[in-house]
Amino acid sequence: MSAMTGALDERTPRERMLTDAAGVLQVGAIAYGVFAAIIFLCGALAGLGAARDLPDMLKSILLYTYTGSSDTALAILILLALAATSLLLVAMVAVLAREVWVVPLLVLLIALALAGVILLGFTPGLPGIIVIVVAGRMMLTDLRAFRINPVMLKELRGRMRGFRAFAVISIYLGLMGAIALLLYLVFGSFARGTGSAAAGEIGRVLFFGIAAIELLLILFIAPAFTAGAITGERERQTYDLLQTTLLAKATFVIGKLEAALSYIVLLLLSGIPLQSLAFLFGGISEAEIALSVLLLLVTAVLLGTVGIYFSAALPRTLVASARAYGAALAVMFIVPVVISVIINILNDLLFIRQGALPSPPMEALLRYIDLLLTSVNPAAAGISAQSLLIDQRVLAFYNYTLRSDGSTIPMVSPWVLFTILYLSASAVLITLTIRKASQDFESS
Amino acid sequence: MTEYIIETRNLVKRFGKFTAVNGLSLQVPSGAIYGFVGPNGAGKTTTMRMLTTLTRPTSGEAFVAGSSVTHEPRAVRRAIGYMPDEFGVYDDMRVWEYLDFFAACYDIPENERKRLIDDLLQLVDLTHRRDDMVDKLSRGMKQRLSLARTLAHDPKVLILDEPASGLDPRARVEIRELLVELARMGKTIFFSTHILADVSEICTHIGIVEAGELIAQGSMDEMRAQLQPHREITVILRSPEAVESVKRLLATTPGVLGSVDLEAKAGRHPLRIDFAGDDDGVAALSQAISASGVAILGFSEETKDLEAMFMRVTKGIVS
Repeated sequence: MSAMTGALDERTPRERMLTDAAGVLQVGAIAYGVFAAIIFLCGALAGLGAARDLPDMLKSILLYTYTGSSDTALAILILLALAATSLLLVAMVAVLAREVWVVPLLVLLIALALAGVILLGFTPGLPGIIVIVVAGRMMLTDLRAFRINPVMLKELRGRMRGFRAFAVISIYLGLMGAIALLLYLVFGSFARGTGSAAAGEIGRVLFFGIAAIELLLILFIAPAFTAGAITGERERQTYDLLQTTLLAKATFVIGKLEAALSYIVLLLLSGIPLQSLAFLFGGISEAEIALSVLLLLVTAVLLGTVGIYFSAALPRTLVASARAYGAALAVMFIVPVVISVIINILNDLLFIRQGALPSPPMEALLRYIDLLLTSVNPAAAGISAQSLLIDQRVLAFYNYTLRSDGSTIPMVSPWVLFTILYLSASAVLITLTIRKASQDFESS
Repeated sequence: MTEYIIETRNLVKRFGKFTAVNGLSLQVPSGAIYGFVGPNGAGKTTTMRMLTTLTRPTSGEAFVAGSSVTHEPRAVRRAIGYMPDEFGVYDDMRVWEYLDFFAACYDIPENERKRLIDDLLQLVDLTHRRDDMVDKLSRGMKQRLSLARTLAHDPKVLILDEPASGLDPRARVEIRELLVELARMGKTIFFSTHILADVSEICTHIGIVEAGELIAQGSMDEMRAQLQPHREITVILRSPEAVESVKRLLATTPGVLGSVDLEAKAGRHPLRIDFAGDDDGVAALSQAISASGVAILGFSEETKDLEAMFMRVTKGIVS
């Protein structure tokens, strides 16, 4: 979007600084993406038996203080690199949109990279620090370019004004409270008189019930908030006004997204006290609550970007909403059905014919496909991550023992992959949306 | 580039087979109040949308404040304030928030915005409505607020699409006064209208557009010079021979720009004379014709106003 052709450089020094700093961050993001792909290839080669000592060597160079197995080290390297890619992309978009929070974000990224270098010996974190420092030095020349997003401010001023916002949150909390009470009464009567285990059961039911309702709520609210973001401006004939101002398209798109998401975050946060009712009964850990909030947030981000994408791509709010809901429903309801069918078939292949176990690489491949499919849906990822947490005390990384030959392969809890998948998809959709919004001038 | 702050060269815009703007070349000098006049559907809005970088020309070029509309849209946007014919309403917004938002869109630092908003509201006389909701304002007030918005980044050029349409007479006068005030502050104002009173009272320049083509353009003084002393005199004579002899006489009379035979009816032969001269000249002309011995049935004269010029040049091609 910054690629103005020709020798005429009409950018101000500030605009030049922004595109340059964003460019540096983009280069860093791409480099980490390529790095992740290379490590993945090395791991695959080693897995197929081609270069057996490659993982050990990579581990000793790239993750030298890590004490676990070198297979797990490769998995950690890949995920760290992917996380670096997506965080740098987020920082890049934030620089283009001139978000003030990019400054603390970059500081946090440096701190994370340093922690990775010191704690894990993650040497590839060092070039990342250099990239951020280079971009940061450019940004320091004109720190006033970064500000609170005016579009977000405008949206929130409108949305939070008056009685409506108050009423919506009250109704939402009232409904959630009523459902929690209902769950308590129903399950409380089943589980009477069996001590703390029964109380834990009630706690779990409350927690899952409320998380499920919040997921449904996000499913309905997130696309609705953003599907009208651009079409609504067109319909009110304010889009032309905005296009003749100097407002960057990135600022516009990100501002709309921030406004929608901050409202959803408010709803989720206001629901946390209800969720923590479960603590009274026990049976739920803080990690589970944190995981559920993370999964819900990530889901909200993706559905919000789906909405805003259709809003940029289609002419009318109604059409955009319909498409966004279609996509959301497909991800939430159709995909799980398809997934369960596929997983059943996989399991049949793996375990029903006990006499003829698949070869170890085949089983490993099937396990990874299984993981990928589970990580596409928030409910599936959540339930699967939760059972790993309860049954095997696994938060993120673990070794999976193959049934075919008893060897282990590195695995990761589905919520990690889910978060990376959803955030990358969001990043792609945001980029496409900004591009679409910038093309409006060309097409009209 | 030139002394013109807006210049278009052979600007063309086609939508499919329909040609909205057809080879339009106009020049707006710096500091002018330029009335862009034409009937509805003549291509005024399309031209303005091209000048404001909202629509890409099919061919031709346009420059605003020396920057190309197609190649340097951001530089153009910095230089212009645009007011479309529809007022874009944001629900749930206060008057000052509306201005604050657009000032932020123009990258005006937060600590300067409060003073700027106060100044702008004072300029358009809306200080007392500062904290009111935008959608509660009357149409005239919305239009003034819209005008204030276009001024947020202190642009050189204001491009206003029908700023006075749909307003009651009082609000229209207020907008006109504002435009004059803004021109005094050094802004170039390019506005479209189909209300001729707007043009004759405040414009320094006008351009008349019809069916996507510019058919007349110039400073108001030039237009007046062409028109005001320019009279149409109709002489009614009794025979074609008399017409010929009067024509011979006219050829030697100073101030005569030309003559046209009108259709003869029932033995009356009208001859229209385009005459540039004052009342003495008209008297002298009528004396000269009488003195030549030609019998005259009638001698009448009319001055033309802007409306008549408008009717004549636009030929009524569009509605």
